[in-house]
Amino acid sequence: MYKIGEITKKTGMSADTLRYYEKYGLLIDISRNSSGIRLYTDKDISKLKFIKRAQRMNFSLEEIKNLLSMRENPQHAKNSVRQLTADKLKNIEEQLTDLSTLQNELKLLLNLCRGSEDGCPIIEDIDSDT
Amino acid sequence: MSIKVEIFSSPNCSACGQASKTLEKLANEIGDDKIQWRKADVIEEIDLAVSLGILSTPSIVIDNVLVFSGLPSIKTLREELLYRLDKKEA
Repeated sequence: MYKIGEITKKTGMSADTLRYYEKYGLLIDISRNSSGIRLYTDKDISKLKFIKRAQRMNFSLEEIKNLLSMRENPQHAKNSVRQLTADKLKNIEEQLTDLSTLQNELKLLLNLCRGSEDGCPIIEDIDSDT
Repeated sequence: MSIKVEIFSSPNCSACGQASKTLEKLANEIGDDKIQWRKADVIEEIDLAVSLGILSTPSIVIDNVLVFSGLPSIKTLREELLYRLDKKEA
């Protein structure tokens, strides 16, 4: 079990954020010790990592809440939550395709740079930073 | 029956000119009617190049499939062209 300070270090999230997530219902059943101090489990850390990833994908807190319920009990998820999960998966797959294309384009450009006898501003910038 | 061959090249690519010469020679040898080839500038056609999986030049694409990244020997390229022609005619 971890106190809130340890969780902030592990996740990079502030204590206020953690308390807000609990109030919003993203984190449920956070236990307390006899002094009323919140104690988090490894499962809570896993949830927080999921929330962080989903936020990077610009999912709303409400969407994340629904996805967490699916994550908790996929067999008994409501149809609307299943649909949301499928939609988000499609969205991620499209972004992965875009990212992969961009990645290959940048790789190609860097490789072309390396073949240039006139030097390459991109490579020179990288070299000057190191 | 013919195959379409594209050489993707870029400025300052020392092997690209050699790749074109090699292909031109093989097209003459095998038959211009059987080898429809062209030289493509990778920067001018970057979307196509990326969609084909090209990451360096020269790259040789046969019938819309990236087959060689880099310059193969004339023997290897000849064998590949003949193999693909045979496959198409079969």
